[in-house]
Amino acid sequence: MTEEVISPERFAILVEQAGLRLTPEQFEELRQAYPLVERMARTVRRPRDRAAEPAHIFVQPKE
Amino acid sequence: MAPTLLTVAEASREIAEGRLSPVALTEAYLERIDALDGELHSYVTVLRDEAVMAARELAAGRSRGVLHGIPIGLKDIYKTRGVRTTAGSRRYLDHIPEEDAESWVKLRDAGAVLLGKQETHEYAIGGPDFTLPFPPARNPWNTAHYPAGSSSGSAVAVAAGLCAAAMGSDTGGSIRGPAAYNGIVGLKPTYGRVSRRGVFPLSYTLDHCGPLTRTVEDCAIMMQALAAYDPHDPASADVPVPDYRAALTKRLDRLRIGVIRHFHERDAVAHFGADSAPSAAYIAAFDDACRVLESLGARLVDLQLSPLIDYVDANRLIMLAEAYALHETDFRERPHLFGHHMFARIALGAFLSAADYVEAVRQRRELCLEFARALADVDIAISANSTGPAPRIDAISTYSTFERASYTGPYNLTGSPALSVPIGFENGLPLAFQIAGKPFDEAGVMRVGYAFEQATEFHRRRPPLAASLPQHQ
Repeated sequence: MTEEVISPERFAILVEQAGLRLTPEQFEELRQAYPLVERMARTVRRPRDRAAEPAHIFVQPKE
Repeated sequence: MAPTLLTVAEASREIAEGRLSPVALTEAYLERIDALDGELHSYVTVLRDEAVMAARELAAGRSRGVLHGIPIGLKDIYKTRGVRTTAGSRRYLDHIPEEDAESWVKLRDAGAVLLGKQETHEYAIGGPDFTLPFPPARNPWNTAHYPAGSSSGSAVAVAAGLCAAAMGSDTGGSIRGPAAYNGIVGLKPTYGRVSRRGVFPLSYTLDHCGPLTRTVEDCAIMMQALAAYDPHDPASADVPVPDYRAALTKRLDRLRIGVIRHFHERDAVAHFGADSAPSAAYIAAFDDACRVLESLGARLVDLQLSPLIDYVDANRLIMLAEAYALHETDFRERPHLFGHHMFARIALGAFLSAADYVEAVRQRRELCLEFARALADVDIAISANSTGPAPRIDAISTYSTFERASYTGPYNLTGSPALSVPIGFENGLPLAFQIAGKPFDEAGVMRVGYAFEQATEFHRRRPPLAASLPQHQ
């Protein structure tokens, strides 16, 4: 499952937005793994009816 | 037979009939822990004095319940009042909770004795991590191999006879994966069936608490004590609890079982690559298991669902987003306290958008409905668990947990009850499949598991370590 890895410049923007302070080793490890996140996000994106909402149901406490 | 080799059902009978005392049983387990756990690392805290004291109190009193005098262990994310609860982390290395997890209260009220707290992947996700203070637990079938996680210590201890039963937690397979690799039984109950109060969360909408046992009957006994409505767990469901042991039968006549084959036969390699290919031995063991179920009277039909990746990626995305949100302050302010794997895995959640998360939970709803419709025409579904034997522990990479196919995650996503049961061996290491059911039908799931177990011998095999155990009389 080879996927193109995000550039260091673009990934640095994501890291800054997230407020993370990474060592160079952590930065590179996460950058190389980022395609896994991209794949997950791609898998859950599909055409859906606007009424296709997530279930959001709670049972009211009895006490 | 050494008392530590007895099942929960057998030990309970011995205790009830006065042939075995809770004190002798507890001491036998403690002796075994002393003899074997230096190699297995299944416990992070052993409660020697407390366990013997509790056993003495039980021996002196009348029967408390279905677990009277039975020594158990808890994954070290279950809070225990006055007893260190680390979640496998440096952050909580000296954490002494002031309250007990509700599920431990239920087990204690039913008569269980707590032997100790068991090794867990950090926060139930970051392992096996050799950079943390607690060495990762080892597979008792071959200590060079991985016991899976994150309920590693609990599964290893049950398999090796270092406790009679244990509690794990399961967000993507952390009960059923270790059950498979250690040759024991593991149940992820329906979401809402067992209280999660007082258990360190990983992902609020996917976390489940459940038992690890040597047999399905033992699982039913544990569930009898555990299943209850907890008004203080926001996700707890007020649903009647049946008599689980009464539901166990040796025949499955006219039961309709849906077999989800395409997950392991087609989807795994198609979407996760060749590394996720099932072994030939696994495919044969799965097919043999199907034939056993047919021989018991069940009627098997193939079930067709959406591709495995649709379930797995939604589950992983939700888990990453919720886990990162839970730990965000620590990621920003004290990242040095995390172990390598926990940091590297959950930090990925920082890069998900709100829209990603919303799309994943919308997909969850669609897949829950799909699975419910598929089960409308059958009573039970079966599918693969880990599709090969446990790999070497030094072969587990940081991201293999996200790169490879997972057969357990779909049932976290749907919240369905799912049971892992041994179905064979490959190179001396256990194999397993899963039995899943309709919401709150743990009884139906365990009925199938019990009938299968009674018709096979896999659950009777014990790891080679068992042979070197002290024969406590």
